[in-house]
Amino acid sequence: MNSNPDLLTSLAGSIRSVLSPLIGNPDGVDMAMYGVGLLAVITLIFTNAVILVWGERKVAGFMQSRYGPNRLGPWGLFQSIADVLKLMSKEDYRPKLVDKWVWALAPIIMFAPAVAAYAVLPFGKDLVPVDLNIGIFYFIAVSSITTIPLLMAGWGSNNKYSLIGGMRAVAQMVSYEIPLVFSMLGAIMLVGSLKMSSIVEAQSHIWFVFLQPVAFLVYVIAATAETNRAPFDLVEGESEIVAGPLTEYSGMRWAMFFLGEYANLLAVSAIASAVFLGGWQPLPLPGALGDMMHAIPGWIWFALKTYIMIFVFMWFRWTFPRFRVDQLMGFGWKVLLPLSLANILVTGVGIFLYRVAIGG
Amino acid sequence: MQGKGLLTGMGITFREFFRKKVTEEYPDVQPDLGDRFRGGKIHLVASKCIACGLCQNACPNGSVRLTTVKDANNKRQLATYVHDTGLCLYCNLCIEACPTKCIEWTKEFALSSYSRDGLVFDCLEAARQRGDVKPPEAPQPDGEKG
Amino acid sequence: MQTQTYELNMGPQHPSTHGVLRIILELDGEVVVKATPVIGYLHRGIEKICEGKTYGQTIPFTDRMDYMHSMNNNLGLCQAVEKLMGLEVPERAEYIRVIMAELSRIASHMIYAGALVNDLGGVTGFVFLIRDRERILELFNKACGARMTFNYIRIGGVQQDVPEGWVEECRRFVDDFPEMMHTYNGLIMGNEIFQARMKDIAILPPDRAVAMAASGGVLRASGVNYDVRKDDPYGIYDRFDFDVPLGTKGDNWDRFIVRMQEMEQSIRIIDQALKQMPEGPVMAKVPKVIKPPVGEVYHHVENSKGDLGYYVVSDGGMKPYRWHARRPAMVNLQLLDELCRGYKIADVVAILGTLDPVLGEVDC
Repeated sequence: MNSNPDLLTSLAGSIRSVLSPLIGNPDGVDMAMYGVGLLAVITLIFTNAVILVWGERKVAGFMQSRYGPNRLGPWGLFQSIADVLKLMSKEDYRPKLVDKWVWALAPIIMFAPAVAAYAVLPFGKDLVPVDLNIGIFYFIAVSSITTIPLLMAGWGSNNKYSLIGGMRAVAQMVSYEIPLVFSMLGAIMLVGSLKMSSIVEAQSHIWFVFLQPVAFLVYVIAATAETNRAPFDLVEGESEIVAGPLTEYSGMRWAMFFLGEYANLLAVSAIASAVFLGGWQPLPLPGALGDMMHAIPGWIWFALKTYIMIFVFMWFRWTFPRFRVDQLMGFGWKVLLPLSLANILVTGVGIFLYRVAIGG
Repeated sequence: MQGKGLLTGMGITFREFFRKKVTEEYPDVQPDLGDRFRGGKIHLVASKCIACGLCQNACPNGSVRLTTVKDANNKRQLATYVHDTGLCLYCNLCIEACPTKCIEWTKEFALSSYSRDGLVFDCLEAARQRGDVKPPEAPQPDGEKG
Repeated sequence: MQTQTYELNMGPQHPSTHGVLRIILELDGEVVVKATPVIGYLHRGIEKICEGKTYGQTIPFTDRMDYMHSMNNNLGLCQAVEKLMGLEVPERAEYIRVIMAELSRIASHMIYAGALVNDLGGVTGFVFLIRDRERILELFNKACGARMTFNYIRIGGVQQDVPEGWVEECRRFVDDFPEMMHTYNGLIMGNEIFQARMKDIAILPPDRAVAMAASGGVLRASGVNYDVRKDDPYGIYDRFDFDVPLGTKGDNWDRFIVRMQEMEQSIRIIDQALKQMPEGPVMAKVPKVIKPPVGEVYHHVENSKGDLGYYVVSDGGMKPYRWHARRPAMVNLQLLDELCRGYKIADVVAILGTLDPVLGEVDC
């Protein structure tokens, strides 16, 4: 239906046509295009983090009857740029007793899986950087690496607050990984493929949020926990353990953690919109209205849905108090996991009955 | 039902999102300090001061310091008058103690400084700079003094 | 598996120790084995300072003890000295004192609830409470020119009469209060996560509460009906009709909800006081130099933290011979270790919040 290549795909096409006479070898051109994709993704992550930091503060402000940042630039838009400049100009301070290598590597390792996860995000039709046939599986595998840098930071900082935070990070992220994966399984069962593009294609008539409402709910809760955001921000738990694993970091090292966190937030929101909200598919409206919806490029739809999800996550953060660590684990294992398992069962039975009904 | 309270809370924050904000945009909009504002430093009307020292006595923390000299008529005159805002409790006792109501609060409240010395204000000097000095009285004949 | 406990030093620089309290936590994983509060980081020796000041000059120092509920601190000291001198306070001043003390109690409880919610991670609840507290502070600013350290209630009355239009503005606040309470009910009290964090945590049985000399909300949450305003009425509190909210269990939730209900009762008192307030002078005939007769006096008032007592000994001179304050927050804080044992680090923050220590008062 979206036969005309939109802005971004045609841009990619023109870059490819410029590069191919220069390089000649088709494999080389493919490699170069991956480089271009990587560059695009990194640019996206950085600009997005800047926008999200601003957005987060603005949302927080508006929900607390304040304006949020409003001094620098229109609506305070340049505030986060000023913040970045401040963070970059700060002294790179290393506390004396930290475990040098573990401590220094943690922020870098935090950032790497966040970038890697973007490889499979379906930004639009034909706009998946690498459309692996195990796309979702790859995403889950890569994003679960995020646990390790937090533990490294917690251990390497040689600080008890950091260590408690690191331990909490492992406990929380490992246990919420499972309902997160299981909630997506329902959608995957409906499609029969792990490929991102086919999951989105399968939602052209009805979004999976309507077929899998329980799974969507479980996904949103588990994703909040995965990104360590309130009400599951025990890892940082500002009022309890100061800043958790980030306590001993400052300046750019701290900013790397922050960048990784916002990159993860964008990634889980993007997956939510791809798996449950129909990805680049426009609003399924009938008649002329539907045609108008189709006229809007897919990547705009995708971005819109993703940012709505991000708003929901921010909304959670600025409304709810934090869980306690035992409640968190109890909720994950005793509520979310059975719920997602039951959802898989119901989905399976539903698919079976549907096949019987259509005589397949 | 479990979760109803969570949704109510989300409703409240969402409504707040569109409400009018209460932020006072401070450097652009100066706050309304009110008529009875206590703060800033002491504004001394030197021409009304009788150098009685009651304000110094009333001060619980030794923030108001003054010295006097006897003039030609053997009347006390202010020699120095210092308000140390670093020690000030802003309790208003000095203002209330003044029999001639010659001291009051200024409305400058942003008095931060890099050193403690920056918090000490010479009120008499400020009064002089405003041109507010006590008119020198003509020396009176000795006979009138008891 | 053999495990080992470790010590965690919480504070004096920590986001949620309400000032400069230091708690040495002995932890087994996340579970508290022992919690030792270390106090004194904000000790200024107010009691000793006050022995060197005249009676009137000690009032600003009471402001700096429990700076959240300063009006009541002023009130307690002034009534103690008035008791010693046998002074009669004009009617209007008594009413203004009650209104101020109760407004101040609401402001204090708002900070209490806000700080507690903030410690549990709900920042927005904190901001809402602070925003509404601003209206009380504005009322104070209009009346006496200060927003926190008032020195408004004086020996023999109040500093000056409330300005024109103040009563109407106060009435508006009283009228708007139910709506504010509705917001808090929705955002904070009704929140399941908040309830789960608070309910059945750190239960304080009534006999232990009495044995540890707890007072105020901490005591009443355990179901002990003791409110100085009712049991030993001071000023004109016997003229007002109000209830003393009681808890049933003595857990964190009761300690929280009792104070929220107290705010509603304070509003009732203010409402009645505004209706009954007569015209007239606001200051009794007090000599310029206050020299109470030789003797001693103990007077206690119901502070937002508990039973605040002043013990003043006069030797007939201008300055008190002995000036002592029984600070409820200091006494209540001693329960911290007992309540924290066996709970998690996250609960320490909540328990500390419900005990509501103000470090200015604890260290004095």
